[in-house]
Amino acid sequence: MSALLALVTVLLTAPQGTAVLDSSVYGCLTCHADKRAAFDQGVHAERGIKCHDCHGGDPAAVALPAAHGGRFVGAPGKVATVALCGTCHSNPNKMRQYGLRSGQVAEFRTSRHGILLLEKHNEDAPTCTNCHDAHTILRPDDARSTVYPNNIAVTCGRCHEDKSLMAKYGLPTDQVQQFNQSAHGVALLRDQNFAAPTCLGCHGSHSALPPTITEIANVCSRCHVSVGTAFGRGPHGQAARAGKLAGCLGCHGNHDTERVPATQIAATCTKCHAPGTPAHSLGTKLQEDVTQASADLRAAASAIEALASFGQQTGDMKFRYQTARTAYLQITEVQHDLNLERLEELTRQVRSISKDVRAAAAVAEEQKWEHRLWLVPVWFFTLAGISLSWLTLRRFERKQVG
Amino acid sequence: MSMGRIWRDITQWLAQVGSDIKASTDAGLLGVARFFGFLYGPIDTSLPIDEALQKSLRFRLPPHAGWRHALGGIAYLLFLLLVVTGVLLAVYFRPSAQEAFPSIQHIVSGVTLGWLIRDLHVWGASILVLAVLAHMGQVFFAGAYKPPRETNWLIGILLLFLVISFGATGYLLAWDQSAYWTVTESLNALADLPIVGGMAAGLLRGDPIVSGATLSRFFAAHVILLPWLALGFLGFHFTMVRRHGVAPLRQPQANPGPGRQFFPNHLLRSFMVGMLVLAVVTTLAILAPRPVGDAAHPGELPDAILSTWVVVDVSRALVHYLGRWGFGLFTLLGLGLALLPLVDRGPEREIRRRPVAAAIGVIFFLGFLGFWMAGRGLRTVPTAPPPAVEQPATVPGGKP
Repeated sequence: MSALLALVTVLLTAPQGTAVLDSSVYGCLTCHADKRAAFDQGVHAERGIKCHDCHGGDPAAVALPAAHGGRFVGAPGKVATVALCGTCHSNPNKMRQYGLRSGQVAEFRTSRHGILLLEKHNEDAPTCTNCHDAHTILRPDDARSTVYPNNIAVTCGRCHEDKSLMAKYGLPTDQVQQFNQSAHGVALLRDQNFAAPTCLGCHGSHSALPPTITEIANVCSRCHVSVGTAFGRGPHGQAARAGKLAGCLGCHGNHDTERVPATQIAATCTKCHAPGTPAHSLGTKLQEDVTQASADLRAAASAIEALASFGQQTGDMKFRYQTARTAYLQITEVQHDLNLERLEELTRQVRSISKDVRAAAAVAEEQKWEHRLWLVPVWFFTLAGISLSWLTLRRFERKQVG
Repeated sequence: MSMGRIWRDITQWLAQVGSDIKASTDAGLLGVARFFGFLYGPIDTSLPIDEALQKSLRFRLPPHAGWRHALGGIAYLLFLLLVVTGVLLAVYFRPSAQEAFPSIQHIVSGVTLGWLIRDLHVWGASILVLAVLAHMGQVFFAGAYKPPRETNWLIGILLLFLVISFGATGYLLAWDQSAYWTVTESLNALADLPIVGGMAAGLLRGDPIVSGATLSRFFAAHVILLPWLALGFLGFHFTMVRRHGVAPLRQPQANPGPGRQFFPNHLLRSFMVGMLVLAVVTTLAILAPRPVGDAAHPGELPDAILSTWVVVDVSRALVHYLGRWGFGLFTLLGLGLALLPLVDRGPEREIRRRPVAAAIGVIFFLGFLGFWMAGRGLRTVPTAPPPAVEQPATVPGGKP
């Protein structure tokens, strides 16, 4: 009985949850209890890191000045914070076990943020804790984290949407807004497609810098591999390498990335090439062909729908449609390397398949119309049958009465 | 050997076969044809089969039997049309979740006249319901359900339920999105009925969702169970018609006359009506074929559900305009109409002196027609919740 009581007592008095810092033995919490809730949620608490590991002092003491004695750091300044985090995070021997990189501080030194902070001691620049928080340091794959993909734009925007702060450096403040509406932003935020880049995808995280003119095409090509390669072998790629063209940004936006619609191709060329020049007429030709191929593909799709509605099996046609679609998607490459011969070939492929599919649909449509011709014999025999029966009936009735 | 000789030999031989059959077959065999409604007059089994047939054909119908009494026959003709087209469809239809839809595509586009057979079956099913209801209305307003014919009224109600069961089970066999989701919604509604609903829906479905198991059950019911039940009850229905005769006129005529001879007068008149009905059904089948939608997909809600059967039209219009309770009340009204003969047993058959019965009848039949018209144009969407994340609109092929 007493053993059971003892067990119940132990169970009731056992610490609840996973509180790492216990105020009964840990002196810091005597005064700083308010920091505990924030810290306990983080990955540092999970790994058994405690206040004094970063802030120094004596956790065994419960009163000042003893508690703040020894190697006490207190709240470190921005520059000191970088060094403080680096004591662990720049040490490969400590980071290896967690599968973490150890180059963040070195990278940070190369970033605009790092140069401002560490070289010019400009306190406008962020330090580690501005993006990662000082106490609630969550894993990047924790949806509450400030560096979770969905939250990155907001985190960067905390400074980069601040007009008065950015005015000092001549930087615009509409990037986040543009990003949210861009193809990348829509893919990430609306469709939850985590393959889409956030700010970090193009600028880097700790080594954040805007890509230079000659770097832009390389940055985009990391994801857009096939168009990137095509761009590189075309005339625009040459210009970009020579620093005469801002890479992909010549035609596309940076923060407001969007496709150039087929109907806007020639208009985009006008940005650099005057109408009437050979380059501009090439763009016009490209626009015509892409628009035509796009219409051909749409027509094929609706022809397949029509075939299905007539009750036809459309497996073969769908297979051919996929072939046409593959050719159509390859036109994207041609738009970037401007190889007109290949363009001819691909659009011809789309056109020919579309023609076949539409012809099949037309035949089915005609057959459906021909079904109506059956109405002629049906009604002829019905009316003939009824009239003959009527006459026969009359004759019989007359005979029966007579 | 000349052609004339061959012809004479063949006719002689046929005559021999004919007389063999006559000599060795009882006239009672004609009773089978009579049971299934093809002969009206009594069979004199003491006569040889050919003379018994001739005697039966000379039978005279009551003098007041007119065109309005053709409605029952029209319903029977449509039933036979459905049997014939149904058997033809069964030759190519494959009752499995994988093959049902492709086999219908094949019937409609690959089989000679398959499209016509299929749409005759579809339209026949709708017109049959209307013909049965018209027949029922005629009997109702004429007061022909009153004793001694109340048993036959109840058998008629049973046959109406069989017709609806035929349609309900056949509806799923198309196995396209509209069929699949209509049946899913109907079974979900059935499952909401208190006490027995869940069990009945589970029994019909045979699976947590409408699946190949459901398709097999519906197919078995549609082509094995229901046809036999219907044939049996039809035979009994006709037997009762002969037993009690056509209901007499409300005011007996002074000089009713000898009545119409079954052959050839009645048969010719039936033939004319039958030709007209078949031509109308064929015209509808040709001009308004049932669309072949997308194959059934349990994981994908269609944009809109199409209705292709009069009962579904009416049910959807009822639920859409009056809600579930309206649907329930209308069904109760129909049931009240069906069971009225059990209480309304007085001899009065003049419709003006039967205000309650007349009111119920008029409301039901006009309501049915009205909701049918309203339901035909209705394009409903499934009531299941829409997908949480809206998919981006895609142009076929996307933009390069």
